[in-house]
Amino acid sequence: MNSTIVCIVCPVSCPVDVEWTKEDGVTGIKNHLCKLANDYVASELFDPRRTVTTSMPVNGGDWPLVSVRTNPPIPKAQILEVMDEIIGVRVQAPIKVGDVLISDVLGTGCDVVATRNVKSA
Amino acid sequence: MASPKIVDVAVIGGGPAGLAAAAEAKGAGANSVLLLERDDKVGGILNQQVHDGFGTKVFKEALTGPEYAAIYEDRVNERNVETWLNTIVTDLTDERVITVRNKGGVQTIQAGAVIIATGCRERTRGAIGTAGTRPAGVYTAGSVQNYMNVRNLAVGKKVVILGSGDIGLIMARRLTLEGAEVVCVAEILPQPSGIAGNLVRCLEDYDIPLYLNTTVSEIHGKERLTGVTLAEVGPKMGEVKGTRRFVECDTLLLSVGLIPETELAVGVGVDMHRATNGAVVDDSFRTSIPGIFSCGNVLQVHDVVDYATLESEKAGVAAAQWAMTGQLPDAKINMSAGNGLRYVLPTTISGEDAVDFTMRPWKEEHDKSVVFKSGGEVLRRLKMPHMEPAGMIRVRVAKGRFKNVIDNEITAEIED
Repeated sequence: MNSTIVCIVCPVSCPVDVEWTKEDGVTGIKNHLCKLANDYVASELFDPRRTVTTSMPVNGGDWPLVSVRTNPPIPKAQILEVMDEIIGVRVQAPIKVGDVLISDVLGTGCDVVATRNVKSA
Repeated sequence: MASPKIVDVAVIGGGPAGLAAAAEAKGAGANSVLLLERDDKVGGILNQQVHDGFGTKVFKEALTGPEYAAIYEDRVNERNVETWLNTIVTDLTDERVITVRNKGGVQTIQAGAVIIATGCRERTRGAIGTAGTRPAGVYTAGSVQNYMNVRNLAVGKKVVILGSGDIGLIMARRLTLEGAEVVCVAEILPQPSGIAGNLVRCLEDYDIPLYLNTTVSEIHGKERLTGVTLAEVGPKMGEVKGTRRFVECDTLLLSVGLIPETELAVGVGVDMHRATNGAVVDDSFRTSIPGIFSCGNVLQVHDVVDYATLESEKAGVAAAQWAMTGQLPDAKINMSAGNGLRYVLPTTISGEDAVDFTMRPWKEEHDKSVVFKSGGEVLRRLKMPHMEPAGMIRVRVAKGRFKNVIDNEITAEIED
């Protein structure tokens, strides 16, 4: 099969032409400007995933919210479920970039980690 | 008034461009670097851009905005750049005297070199002249991003977004994830303004429709927005008769472009570029006024923060060199944008070092080349599988290629 998949890893958004089969996976790839497209395209065909970024309310911080992301990316089909899980959880300052705020969210094997430093107010 | 504070390099604006410029100015040997930021935190727009995709060029991974900002904030702090927060610059002279206002009152700064890194602001409803009433519920996309991601405020439940710029697309996803219904994104142009990746992960992933050649022709509602009238536009931007339709919504987001905050640059009298609306600069990011430099989104709107960072780091190094030695290479080679390109920056170069040129095409192009020519001879040719107006083109030309420049003129253009 031939598909064109827009690589979403970086803003360049290469429209990558891919040759693939269910059995052999990706057999040919062109029109990409960097290597990051290889893994993305394979994942998008057989196991589409997204990094979900959102924020969580903070108690006692110098910011009212801490921005967070899923790490590694979660299955695309579970985005809204994971959002439901994150919404409503409050966390306590101080928080550092990389702190795990929810581990193994919904059994996906992915954590929800902080992407902002929040000091105690 | 107290006597002015003396610094080697002053950087106006603590967003990604200012942070990178200040850190590198200090790293390159300026004894004192002062960073001026009007907000209560540095990081600029990155603080509210909680989505990922930043850093793929510089760090080879997709960071979120706050993570990316934190790296440069740490760097500025480690290098002992002095940072003044809650400080607004009200005046800049061609003798590099800066007037600021903050809690301490009015103060002046005499800088050896000044870097203008003031970024952009959003185009508003007034700027696009949308007809109708003036109810609550009409916002620029970036303000909503700030309300939701920084201040923890919600704006509405049923949303129409006008303009398919990246911030608008990202907010379509963000509002959806937070439980609002995004009815559609309307774009007046025949092609999307945002990058293709955002059409996929922000609209297609959530089945949000994008209507091209479509605009908001009227805004309805007395106290609160009750809906908008959408209409199709023809090739000359006129409304197509019989295409008006009412769409119910309580919120309208405008993502209709960015305006460089050039008041300081224009006020001090630097030469401006017709296509970018930013300053004209050489390959040291010098403006037409000695000792005044410019970089980041106030120079040209970037779609990739990494490139704003790289550009600003160069500006920082050059500003430090100028402040400490009073010398930079003479930029006597003129650049011009030829066939297919709206502009090319820098507009003059020295030819004594490699240059990362930035350009934008007029329209979408496939399997063409960007070519640098002088006196009819090709200095550099780079094949580009795909170019579009929404994507800045960045091409490095090595120092050795400038040996063959004729009459100090180089043209960049698109060829088959």
